[in-house]
This record gives sequence, C-alpha cells and structure tokens, in this order.
Amino acid sequence: MIITLTHYLLVSAGLFSIGIYIVLSKQNSIQVLIGVEMMLNAAILNLVAFGKFDKVNNAGQTFALFAIVLAAASTAVALAIVLNVYRRHQTIDPGKINQLKD
Amino acid sequence: MIAAVSHIDLQTVTYALAAVGLPLVGAVINLLLPGRSGKLSGWISTLAVLLSAALASLVFGRVWNHDALHVQQLWFTIGNTPVNAGVLLNNLSVFMLLLVTVIALPVHLYSTAYIKPEEQNRYFTYLSFFCFSMLALVLVDSMVLLYAFWELVGFSSYLLIGFWFMRDSAVQANKKAFIMNRIGDIGLLSAIIILFTQYHTFDLVQLFGANGLIFKSTIQNGMWIASTGQLPEVWQYVAFAGIFLAVAAKSAQFPLHTWLPDAMEGPTSVSALIHAATMVAAGVFLLGRVYPMFNDVELNVLAIIGCFTAFLAATIALTQNDLKRILAYSTISQLGYMIMAMGINAYASSLFHLATHAFFKCLLFLCAGVIIHEVHHIKEEHQLDIDAQDINNMGGLRKKMPLTFIATLIGCLALVGLPFTSGYLSKDGILIQAFEWAEGKALWFKIIPVGIFITSGITAFYVARLIFKVFFGDLKLKEILPNVNLHISDGSWSFRIPLIFLSICSLFPLFSFNPFSYEHAWLFEGFKAGNYIGGQSIYHQFIPISISVLSVLIAYWAFAVYLKQRKLVLSPDTFLFKLSYNQWYIDAFYKQVIVKAILLLSHALYWFDRTVIDGFIQLLQQITLFLSGLAAWTDRYLVDGALNLITLLVKGIGNFFRGFQSGRVQYYLFSMLAAVLAVFIIKLLI
Repeated sequence: MIITLTHYLLVSAGLFSIGIYIVLSKQNSIQVLIGVEMMLNAAILNLVAFGKFDKVNNAGQTFALFAIVLAAASTAVALAIVLNVYRRHQTIDPGKINQLKD
Repeated sequence: MIAAVSHIDLQTVTYALAAVGLPLVGAVINLLLPGRSGKLSGWISTLAVLLSAALASLVFGRVWNHDALHVQQLWFTIGNTPVNAGVLLNNLSVFMLLLVTVIALPVHLYSTAYIKPEEQNRYFTYLSFFCFSMLALVLVDSMVLLYAFWELVGFSSYLLIGFWFMRDSAVQANKKAFIMNRIGDIGLLSAIIILFTQYHTFDLVQLFGANGLIFKSTIQNGMWIASTGQLPEVWQYVAFAGIFLAVAAKSAQFPLHTWLPDAMEGPTSVSALIHAATMVAAGVFLLGRVYPMFNDVELNVLAIIGCFTAFLAATIALTQNDLKRILAYSTISQLGYMIMAMGINAYASSLFHLATHAFFKCLLFLCAGVIIHEVHHIKEEHQLDIDAQDINNMGGLRKKMPLTFIATLIGCLALVGLPFTSGYLSKDGILIQAFEWAEGKALWFKIIPVGIFITSGITAFYVARLIFKVFFGDLKLKEILPNVNLHISDGSWSFRIPLIFLSICSLFPLFSFNPFSYEHAWLFEGFKAGNYIGGQSIYHQFIPISISVLSVLIAYWAFAVYLKQRKLVLSPDTFLFKLSYNQWYIDAFYKQVIVKAILLLSHALYWFDRTVIDGFIQLLQQITLFLSGLAAWTDRYLVDGALNLITLLVKGIGNFFRGFQSGRVQYYLFSMLAAVLAVFIIKLLI
C-alpha cells in the first residue's frame, strides 16, 4: 500500500477533530490545552505533508519547526495563565470561570 | 352744550349736583365707618342732608319761576344717536329737590333718636342712599338715567323696608314691595323703549319740553305719526300702559297698591320718608315729567283709577286697627287724589297736594312713631303681650303726650282738609277742579267728583276714629297695668323738633297768605298752565263749605259713636265690615290666584327641570359613560395590548440572544465552530 498525501491529510483531519472535541468537552483547562496542542500538531502535520512538493528548500519542514517552537512558547504562557487562574479561582474548569458573563 | 351756559347758571347747576351728591357722600362715609360707630353715623347723614337742603333752597330760589336750566354732556353714542346725560332744572325738579330734602331733614333728625345706636350705621347708610337716589331721580334729564335712579329708589326702599331682616314679616314685606315695583319697572322700561323707537331720543327736554317732539306728533288714521317716524296707534297706548304700571307700582295705585301697607314693617321713620317725599312721590313726579304725552282717553283712565284707589283705600282704612296701617291706607287714598288730579288736568293741584301731603303725612308718621315707641317701651318694660301698634291698646294718650297730640291733630286736620291747614288748600283745589271738569261732560263723568267727595267724607271718619281711639277716652294701658305709674312722654328733643317743624309746615301760611283760596298759593301759581282761568264757578264757594261741614259732622258722629256710646258703627259680622277689614280681599285674591298660579307654574317648571332636563342630562351622562367605558376598554386591550405584544417580542428576542452570552468559553468556541460549519454547509449547498 502506497502512503499518499490523502492519507496524511485524513490523519491530520482526524487529529484536528479529536483536538476540537477535547477543547469543547473537557472540564479541565490543561486537557483543553492538550486539545489545542493536538489541533496545532494536526496543522504541523499538514505543513510537513505538503513539504514534499518543495524538495529544494524544504520550506514546509522549516515552517513546521518554527510552529513547534511557537507552540512550546504559547503552551508555556498558557500554563502560566492556568496556574494564575487556579490561584485566583481555586478551579481550572473553564465552565466555571464565567465572570465576563454579566 | 356746556359753553352756552352762563357762569351763574353753571354755579346753580353745581349747587344742585352738590345737593344730590351730599347724601351719597354721607352714605359712602357711613359705609366705610365701622358698624359700631353708632350715633356718629346719624350725625354725618343728618349734616349731609342739612347741607343738601340748604343748597336745594338756594337752587330753588334761583330757578323757581325762572327759565329752566338744562345742562348736558355726551354720554355715549348708539349708532348715530347720541345719548346725553345731564341735569334739568325747571320748576318741577327744583320743587321736588327742595321738598325731598326738607322732608328728609326732620326724618333724619328724628331717626337719630328713634333708631338704636348700634343699628344706626347700617340704617343711615341706607337712608342717605335712599335720599340720594330720589334726589338724582328728580334732577336727571334723560329717560335712561331716570330709569336707573327709579330702580335705585326701589332697591334702597327694599333695603329699608327689610331693615329688621331678622323678622320674617319684614322680609316678606320687602320682597313684596320689591317684586311689585319690578312689575312697574318693566312697564317703565317698555315705555322708554317705545318712546325711543318713535322719537330716537331719551332726552326729556326734547321729548316733553315746550315744542318737544311729543307736541309735534299726532294720531291719524290709526297711525302714531312723529317727525322722526311712525308707529301703529296701539303703541302709544302701550307706552301709556307702561308708564301707568310704573306709576301704579311706585305710587301704590290699584291694582299694585298692596305693597305699601306691608311696607309698614320697616322702621316708622322710614315709613314717614317713603310715604311723604321719596318713594311714592316718584310715581306722581314721573307723571308730571311725561304729562304732555297723554291724550284724553288716557287721562280719563288715570282719573278713574285714581278716584277708585282713593275710595278703595279710604274704605279699608275705616276698619284697620294697626295705627301705621291706617296711615298707610290714607297715603294710598291721598295718592289716588293726586293721580286723579293729573287725570282731570289739574296738574298744578296734583303737585300742590303732593307737597302739602308730604308735610302732613310725614308729620303723622313721626307722631305715630313716637306713640309706638312709647307703647313699645312700656310693653318691653312690663313684659306685656300686646301689639304696640294696635290702636285698641292706646286711648287717653292726650294728656300724657300733649305735643304729639297737637301735632297729630294738625296732621289729621290737614289730611281731612279743614280750613287753615295746608290740606284744605290743596285738597279743595282738586275737588273743585274735579267738579268743574265733569261739568258739561256726560253724566257718568260725574262719578269721579262725587266719588272723591264721598271719599273725603270717609277720610274724615277714619281720621276721627284714629284720633279718638288713640288720644281720647280712658288710658287703656292703665287698665292693663292698674298698679303701675306709667311713664309716657313726648320723648326727647330729637322727636319734638321735627314734630314742631312739620306741624308748622302743615298749616296754611307756608303755602298761601290767603287761607281759603288755593289759587293764591305760590306753589299752585308756579305750576298752573298758562291758559288756566281763575274759576268763578259756584263750586268755589260750595265745595269748601260743604266739605268742611260734612267733615265736621262726620267727625262728630265718630266722636258720638266711639266715645259717647262706645260701640261699633258696623258689627264685625256684616259683609261691608269684613270687606273693609280684609282689605277688599285684594291681597287674598293675589295670594290665591296670582301667587298660587305662579307657584304652581314654578312647581311645574321645577318638575320639568328635574325630570325632563335633568333626565336628558342624565341620559347624556349615561351615553358619555358608556362611550368612555368603550374607549377605556379599547385603550386597555387594543392599544396597550399591541404595545405589550411588541415589548414581549423584544423581550423574547433579547432573552434568546442573551442565552448565548453564558460566559463559558467552550460554548463560544462551539458556536464559532457551528457558524463556520454553517458557512461551509451553505457554500456547499449553493
């Protein structure tokens, strides 16, 4: 069986959907963060998969590296926020943190 | 108009106006003074009328038997007709001016003692106003002003008759007087309107003066033709009827005479003024003013009514027991003489009798006031249950009150018309001229002189009855109070001076130096027509002698009946006595027919008002209520309902969208996803 671009894209879409599901359904901010990371990785997978059409510069792989670095940075910031939220609200359930409602 | 009058005349007019204005000033001052000012008010009014009398005599001296003074100014303009207001001073008006003030003066003086000090302020306010109205009435030169003051005289007499307004009878009496006078006022007003329609002027001089419009108008072919227009003949008679009604109401002639006896409810001093110079004289004065407008038929009507009234009132006076009521009916009777004298062309004699009557009737009323005052005093002192005005309770007062007795006697002699009194001069003048007038006319015209002659005899009887019952015989009060020493006297000098003054004025010298001939009286000469021929007919000797002899005989008969035999002439059961005692049932007739009919009508109108008019209003109210209920329902359920629906809709939409703002991040994300998906799905479908 030859692994084609379509397979990559399907895996990526499944990964993205799982990520969305996690983001929308989990009651723990850290799990939500994990969902976000999965969606990001789905995107990175797409970058790498499309990278085979640019074998001279390998722009897809390069851009994926940048994205991974940025994801690590954003995850660090997000974790810091989660930590601060926990200190303030004694919970990290995003459903209960709804002060902006009123 | 003013410019044409010389300086001296202007001064005279000013004096006349001041004479009229002073009582008004007195009234206004009294009105402004506090009610407790007591005697001060009395003296203010008396002073005002004293000055007024002085000015009036000055004016009288200047104008009497001189050319008439007429000063006027434009008052207002109706369309193209100017209406002037002014003063007319001729023999008639200055004579009335003097008479009213001279009569008012003793009445004022008398009132200062007669009225209680605490009531004087109100009393003198009214009295001064009354004098002012009458004085202004005699001076004005326009029918409009005449009417205005005519009304004011009626109004102020209403105030005075009802002076003791706590008494029901006084209130009834002044209402009656006022309503009867209103009937007369309607007559006068309609007469003025008719005269204005015909002649286009209210000016008395233009209408009735020498060469006035009245003289130039004639009645031809059933039309009343004047230089200013023409009307059907009947309007001339309607105008006469109006004037007659006015005169009958003010001067108490049949059929409108019944208010005058009831007007006795006022203070006696007021009665004196009303009966002498102010109120009742206004009617005769009006006749004098408009005299030229009457034709022969109308004059005959006046003569008949006057004669009948004189007779009617004299017969009623025969049986009355109330002292003031007897005098009131004698006034009506004497006024009948005056009206009749006007009717028989004895213009001068009528006014002459007005003057002499004013003095002796004022005198008689003031005497009656003194007597009633004293009897009332005793009644109050001893708590008696008697009528202070009933002559049956008097008797024998001659020795207790000598001055009052003499004054009353003079007044009564003048009223009967015995020689050496003023009444003799004026009354015989009327009688003689009545006989002369009937001479050469149809037989039935003789009824008038004969009737008036009989009336003179009746007058002698009731006057004698009055004198004998009040002053002669035993002291009735002594019989009622046997053990008490009665203090009855002539009263203070405020009572005595007016009595003495008026007694002197009731004798002949004031009017004529010849006590037996009315033709030599200066008053008569001032008024007599230019073509008056000094009568040499047999009546000039026959009438005075026969009337005097008849009067004396009748008086003696009354003396014999009442004092010697102590019985009544007619038993109270006979028809004639009842007729006289009940005043010919005229009052009863009015009450039964007119008052009842009016009451019935007003009840019917009241019913109509209550049921029909009010019912209609209630129907309208019901309809309005129904309509407004409908409107309220519409408002509540339709208009408000629509608004509520809108708010409900808005609220629903708001709530719907509010639901999305749950504040939960994951929901927001979900909705974003849904939106993106929706866009994609739509893109796919299109």
